[in-house]
Amino acid sequence: MGPPKRFKKDNDRGKWKKRKEDPEEYNDDDTLDDNETEGIPDAAKNDVEKQDDTALEDEFGAKDYRAQMVLKPDCVLRPLWVAPNGHIFLESFSPVYKHAHDFLIAISEPVCRPEHIHEYKLTAYSLYAAVSVGLQTHDIIEYLKRLSKTTVPDGIIEFIKLCTLSYGKVKLVLKHNKYFVESPYPEVLQKLLKDPVIQECRLKNTVEDEIITNIQNKTKAPQFGAKAVTNVPTGVTKVTETNDQVPAEAAAVPEDITTFYDKMDKEDEDEEEEQELKTVSFEVNQEKIEIIQKRCIELEYPLLAEYDFRNDTVNPDINIDLKPSAVLRPYQEKSLRKMFGNGRARSGVIVLPCGAGKSLVGVTACCTVRKRALVLCNSGVSVEQWKQQFKMWSTADDSMICRFTSEAKDKPMGCGILITTYSMITHTQKRSWEAEQTMRWLQEQEWGIMVLDVFHDLTSIMCLEVHTIPAKMFRRVLTIVQSHCKLGLTATLLREDDKIADLNFLIGPKLYEANWLELQKRGFIARVQCAEVWCPMTPEFYREYLGCKMSKKLLLYVMNPNKFRCCQYLIRYHERRGDKTIVFSDNVFALKHYAIKMNKPYIYGPTSQSERIQILQNFKFNTKVNTIFVSKVADTSFDLPEANVLIQISSHGGSRRQEAQRLGRILRAKKGAIAEEYNAFFYTLVSQDTMEMNYSRKRQRFLVNQGYAYKVITKLAGMEEVRIAYCHLSEDSEPDLMYTSREEQGHLLQQVLSASDMDADEERIPGEGPRPFVTYFTSLGLSFQIIRKAGNMTSMSGADDAVYYEYKKAPSSSTANKHPLFKKFRA
Amino acid sequence: MSNTISGKNLLRPTGLQCKNLQEYLKSRPPEVLNKLYHNPPICLAVFRELPVIAKHYVMRLLFVEQPVPQAVIASWCSKLHFEEHQKVVLILNELNVWKEASIPGGLPGWILNTTFKKNLKIVLLGGGKPWTMSNQLEIDSKPRDVAFLDSYALERWECVLHYMVGSQQQEGISADAVRILLHAGLMKRDEADGSPVITQAGFQFLLLETALQVWYFILQYLDTIEARGLDLVECLTFLFQLNFSTLGKDYSTEGMSEGLLTFLQHLREFGLVYQRKRKAGRFYPTRLALNIATGQNKPLSRDPEKEGYIVVETNYRVYAYTNSNLQVALLGLFCEMLYRFPNLVVSILTRDSVRQALKSGITAAQIVGYLQQHAHSKMIEAGPPILPPTIVDQIKLWENERNRFIFSEGVLYSQFLSQTDFEVLRDHALSTGVLIWQSERKRTMVVTKAGHDDVKKFWKRYSKGSS
Repeated sequence: MGPPKRFKKDNDRGKWKKRKEDPEEYNDDDTLDDNETEGIPDAAKNDVEKQDDTALEDEFGAKDYRAQMVLKPDCVLRPLWVAPNGHIFLESFSPVYKHAHDFLIAISEPVCRPEHIHEYKLTAYSLYAAVSVGLQTHDIIEYLKRLSKTTVPDGIIEFIKLCTLSYGKVKLVLKHNKYFVESPYPEVLQKLLKDPVIQECRLKNTVEDEIITNIQNKTKAPQFGAKAVTNVPTGVTKVTETNDQVPAEAAAVPEDITTFYDKMDKEDEDEEEEQELKTVSFEVNQEKIEIIQKRCIELEYPLLAEYDFRNDTVNPDINIDLKPSAVLRPYQEKSLRKMFGNGRARSGVIVLPCGAGKSLVGVTACCTVRKRALVLCNSGVSVEQWKQQFKMWSTADDSMICRFTSEAKDKPMGCGILITTYSMITHTQKRSWEAEQTMRWLQEQEWGIMVLDVFHDLTSIMCLEVHTIPAKMFRRVLTIVQSHCKLGLTATLLREDDKIADLNFLIGPKLYEANWLELQKRGFIARVQCAEVWCPMTPEFYREYLGCKMSKKLLLYVMNPNKFRCCQYLIRYHERRGDKTIVFSDNVFALKHYAIKMNKPYIYGPTSQSERIQILQNFKFNTKVNTIFVSKVADTSFDLPEANVLIQISSHGGSRRQEAQRLGRILRAKKGAIAEEYNAFFYTLVSQDTMEMNYSRKRQRFLVNQGYAYKVITKLAGMEEVRIAYCHLSEDSEPDLMYTSREEQGHLLQQVLSASDMDADEERIPGEGPRPFVTYFTSLGLSFQIIRKAGNMTSMSGADDAVYYEYKKAPSSSTANKHPLFKKFRA
Repeated sequence: MSNTISGKNLLRPTGLQCKNLQEYLKSRPPEVLNKLYHNPPICLAVFRELPVIAKHYVMRLLFVEQPVPQAVIASWCSKLHFEEHQKVVLILNELNVWKEASIPGGLPGWILNTTFKKNLKIVLLGGGKPWTMSNQLEIDSKPRDVAFLDSYALERWECVLHYMVGSQQQEGISADAVRILLHAGLMKRDEADGSPVITQAGFQFLLLETALQVWYFILQYLDTIEARGLDLVECLTFLFQLNFSTLGKDYSTEGMSEGLLTFLQHLREFGLVYQRKRKAGRFYPTRLALNIATGQNKPLSRDPEKEGYIVVETNYRVYAYTNSNLQVALLGLFCEMLYRFPNLVVSILTRDSVRQALKSGITAAQIVGYLQQHAHSKMIEAGPPILPPTIVDQIKLWENERNRFIFSEGVLYSQFLSQTDFEVLRDHALSTGVLIWQSERKRTMVVTKAGHDDVKKFWKRYSKGSS
């Protein structure tokens, strides 16, 4: 008898794929215009994903790669699999994990990095980054082959060659204030010079058609690591160096991996110590830098910008150094080593989670270059915070730091560091005379380094404030300001439209990306318990929800009385523990309603700068202000190191980036970080059975891929009595929690329904003046005290309060209580 | 006027019922049990599976030749544990291990089943006829070691499982085995072309532990045994003899009846015994046979050679270090498969994939159990908990999601001619407590199915009276 038929027909599968390809319906991020792609090399548009269209599906619906690769006999010792579509899977428990991880971070983008098996993906951009930090095509392929458990598919090798062979071969170097196109490959340079456009750009004062060949006898151009010794007590770097070493595990590892790794590691780090490096170069006309850059990209030889700041004699040094107290963490140092790897400053992006010390990296980079530095961030508050960071970590004082914002305009002349916002630079309307002067000065300067803080959010911020295409605006920043090197600092290389690579080519390659879970394990960032709290809709709200139009729906699920009560309960619970809580709401109507009802201070768009700072200061130091409500203005710009609890009551659709940014608000490592299992809490309140559930799932994807786990809380234990009481419509349950009685809820519903469409919308343009902050304090009771409860681990972590509970409504004759599907039965 | 609303097809299917030895024996008629007790090995197997208190009672009564008053036996157990005592009494009754007998004084007493008593004594003290398979054998020229037997057993057993999932990787199985699968309801004939396809029960069966699978399968096999012209008692006896045999030792087939030899061939097909040739004259029992009556119920100690292969991540990824189509097919029941490498399968748990599994009758507990049972050693090292709690929670939530409706079967009454009619009937239903739902405005009501007859009668009486 033959084998039976397959039990599951594949009819569902098509549906699946379709859904995956669906664009996010609630896409917050702008889409790029078609012309945006100019200035991006063609190879970057290659997508290796398409290469496995030919891969067969096996009978279970998986892409079957078994025919394309052969398992090596010693596969157990090798850590990774390379799929023909560019996805790479890495065992984190492999003895060679550390080598493989460093290597993969350099050549590919991490997709997800949970506990045991990590996934990476090769992209054109990531390979570009790999080449620009000094890896060679041959080495990449060879090492990948050695690390892989199986043979590496040919398609992948082709892809790597395609993306790397022409990249990183030519550099644009600024030396002695002259621009040179430099390359160790004379044939490449010859090829470039045959192009008429490039010939045009070439500075003609040298002898025609002769390329400068210089055999550089570089006697130890100091590297970043070495340089750091002068700033940092010697012990520090030494210790971290040894920490990076893997102790004698090598025995279990196939020898070819270790030896090769050592070789590569050495090449990467000590590149410049080779005594003789033959390079050829030609000088470029300074006015035509833009043109030559563009042309080189068209010719598939993108110019890597490097800044030989040590030999720059024209721009004056600024007198700034790191303070001895500034100690770099190993990962910060590693990221900076990538940037200053060969004694020059490379432009690029460093990706660190929020709270992992991005500003110290920025400050250190400025102190290393020691030329005029420009810091761009996205709000006035963060300008202040950057200034503080500079004063904290470096020897810079007030006279050296100039702030340039709409509210604070210091005298720029003679300063070494200028801190401003993106919108100040790109402002197109008429400016005040004073600002005009500063702008002119700014444009005249030749900046040594430009630090772009959280530049990814630039896109959304700009859309919000200036209503324009971000990439264009971004380019404008880069053209207005002349700087030798650019350092982008961000938490996520994430855009909902996945066109991030295009933007990144404008700044430079990704130099370093940290692993969230690893930083968390080592106590550099807080251990966060993420929880999604399900709040059932009340019958009345749900009835309205089902029958109203889109914009109103949002308001209804945010204003769900059960959500309000959950929020109130959580705030109270954490205030009792002595925690500092931030409550986020994208919806201003809800923000104000919640805050006013609970008598807490709030910050949103129209809140003035001074009031914002006042509220933040109080939140920081005043023991009576433990909870603040903020709108999405606080997503990125404010640094709130004290906060350790975050409650999200309304958020922007399915934006993964916003979720990551918000988590970042509470990531800064807390005191006693090792003692407790979790020391920060991230709650998202969602109304059950509404669209919010879907959004929430989408939002979590990024963090889930970073190894975060969301706990679903269907019921908060402490609220139990209250809810039971509510079910029986008893009105004197707990008087403290609001919206317990049906009358109150009905009243709230009235308010919600009468709210205008403007209210239902997310924050946009200021509607009304901010409420004076002072009133909140007068209304706060004086007897309020903080009690820090001692408790076991679970109760501290809040785990004992999370109980599963299926919430069944008591049968009732009221039609509002029934699920809509019952209508069918009734009819 | 009334029509029945049935939500039956929407109700969750009941789980696969797997009886243990006691339950199986309980369900046999007493005559069969008595026949079985003629065989010492069965007596020993039954005795071993008894609860501790029951074992104690049996031992104390073993050499007592007359009935013992029930009150006396009850006094052997502390009053505090009276409930347990009663449970034990029930079990012993059901298994026909003892029976009621009145003592000359008229008091109710218990006496052990004489056959059981006799044969248990033989097992414990020795004597009686030699077991069929205990004949002396010459030393096997090519002895088989335990490792070989284990892999053989697993391979044979997986053939059956492979066949069920319809993978083409393995050779087929005999028509006999297919008949058992069909009989057990694990597979059914496809309506279109009559070829066997797996059923919901089959899916659940696949997720059971191997020992449980074998036991379940054998039970189903035993059901069909008489139809094959084999003697149930003989086969059961043999099965229990196997149960007490030694792994790695060979036994003789000499003196076995024709029927028993057929039975042996069946066991051979499923990997319970190993025989080099059909007529080899000797066989080796495998681990599957050893576990058959004793292993289920007790947690099997993890097989050291059987490495776990599943890694579950907090991001819902499920990685399986395997190239076996069976294992991939099993994962495919509740995971969406993404990639297959030569020794790794990449898959992801999604709401849809899990719901698909739930729809086919697999429970969340079974999914979690399967993942846990086969967890990779790295997962076990990192644990406990072995699986990420959020994933376990989520699978359970997905299951709960399906159970938010409460179905109550009922009968709909509608199209009342007047409001009073409606109210009278409704009030009657309400007072008898059978009303499920009513709408005054629509003059519609639903009563429970059980209450339907009563309400109908009431309505007939009422409408007769009013007309």
